[in-house]
Amino acid sequence: MTLEATEGRLPPFARQLCPVVAGLPLGPMLTLSLRSLARQRPGLFERLGEHRSVRYFVDPVDLAFAFTIIPDGMRSVVRVVRKEQTATSSVVVRGPLLMLLGLLDGTLDGDALFFNRVISVSGSTEAVLALRNTIEDAELLPADLLGLSGALARAANAGILGGLDAMRRLAASAKPGPSQEKS
Amino acid sequence: MSSTRMELVCPAGTPATLRAAVQAGADAVYCGFRDETNARNFPGLNFSTEEMAEGVRFAHAHGSKVLVAINTFGRVGSVDRWRKAADAAVGCGADAIIAADIAVLDHVASNHKQIRLHLSVQAAAATPEAIGFYAETFGVRRVVLPRVLSIQEVATLNREIRVETEAFVFGGLCVMTEGRCYLSSYATGKSPNLNGVCSPPEMVSYEEDIDGTVARLCGFTIDRYAPGAPVGYPTLCKGRFKAGDKTSYLFEDPVSLNAGSMIAGLKAAGVTALKIEGRQRGKGYVTEVVRAFRKAVDAVEQGSDGIEIDRILAGQSEGGRQTTGAYKKSWR
Repeated sequence: MTLEATEGRLPPFARQLCPVVAGLPLGPMLTLSLRSLARQRPGLFERLGEHRSVRYFVDPVDLAFAFTIIPDGMRSVVRVVRKEQTATSSVVVRGPLLMLLGLLDGTLDGDALFFNRVISVSGSTEAVLALRNTIEDAELLPADLLGLSGALARAANAGILGGLDAMRRLAASAKPGPSQEKS
Repeated sequence: MSSTRMELVCPAGTPATLRAAVQAGADAVYCGFRDETNARNFPGLNFSTEEMAEGVRFAHAHGSKVLVAINTFGRVGSVDRWRKAADAAVGCGADAIIAADIAVLDHVASNHKQIRLHLSVQAAAATPEAIGFYAETFGVRRVVLPRVLSIQEVATLNREIRVETEAFVFGGLCVMTEGRCYLSSYATGKSPNLNGVCSPPEMVSYEEDIDGTVARLCGFTIDRYAPGAPVGYPTLCKGRFKAGDKTSYLFEDPVSLNAGSMIAGLKAAGVTALKIEGRQRGKGYVTEVVRAFRKAVDAVEQGSDGIEIDRILAGQSEGGRQTTGAYKKSWR
């Protein structure tokens, strides 16, 4: 997949779902997911070293809200926050949701996205690198984050990855012009 | 032309990348432990002892080798850390240790005669005399050549030495003779040779303002990028500075080595192994670059001129620009 083909933001139909998604208890759900992942793969978080207690601010620019994440194994915490609540975070990562998800599933290369300004990063470069290398090695699948296994995991992986791929293609084909970027 | 098949040596910063390199066709993978004994000591990167052992098992099961880089220089009072890393590499079943420090070379030569010793590029051995010293004193079997030699010089060197040579063919370039660069230490107090880090990330910052992005190293501005323009990692050697009335890359342009078109020439020059740089890069980079070079090397081994891989790999190069480096010294 080339960078150019995946630069787009969420397709309009997906953006319309955002208010619905925002109503869900996303923070507690994602916290449970991370802790479940820590239970299954405790070694994964060791790679972060001292940076596992860092608060990362992740801002999907095409959503109305952002997240703070402390990836501290069984003590991990994810919170849904307002976009301006960056003060207490050591790292701020901003980018289109599909790009950020592409980093998680390993579809996209973090260096390429950063150096080409598709995502932006500020704050502790050391903590960002540790997180980037940890995610790179983790080879996460959607089922890992959802705590699923067996046939259910295979179905979830196929469905979610297929859906993301379709959305990326849609986003690429409907890449907004400069005048639409601010909307 | 050498009759033996050239070996493709590929980078791995994490176990996942090791598996990706092996599956993409690497003959050998080089990697390091998660400490300052290797020249890529960055947070979240490298292998624990257990991960290294598992990586070796995986590579061997797929017909690939693992070369462990213990290629920084020990310090007075702490050389034991380097010796223990060498012992651990042997314990993991590694196929070779890549070292530069004579204390490490001596330890391996004296205590682990069964494992191959490769001389790291950090030793900057580029003459028959220097290479002969390492071969006779420590039994070094292969030398990783500094990226300062033309292809004619590589051929001349190979005629005068009795050990294998490994040549870089892709990835980041150092303008300095490797192992002699202390540029980073002037700004940060840390160098790749002693601490395994060039521009340590805890001293790197990117700041946005109305004019774009400023990349700083330990407070020093290394480069400034216009809004939306691609950015780079701030290393002093590739910084943009003002001297007199001119702003330019004073030391080195941010370009990557790509000697993909010179594989046949390197084989003819007697090179045994081709090395891809990039232990800090991810699975996507490793998979794409290794696959492309696998095809190119196989094509050369089968007698063709190789495939055109420059275009395929342009997107993986720093700044999207490539060079054949010193192999073609057009400035002479």
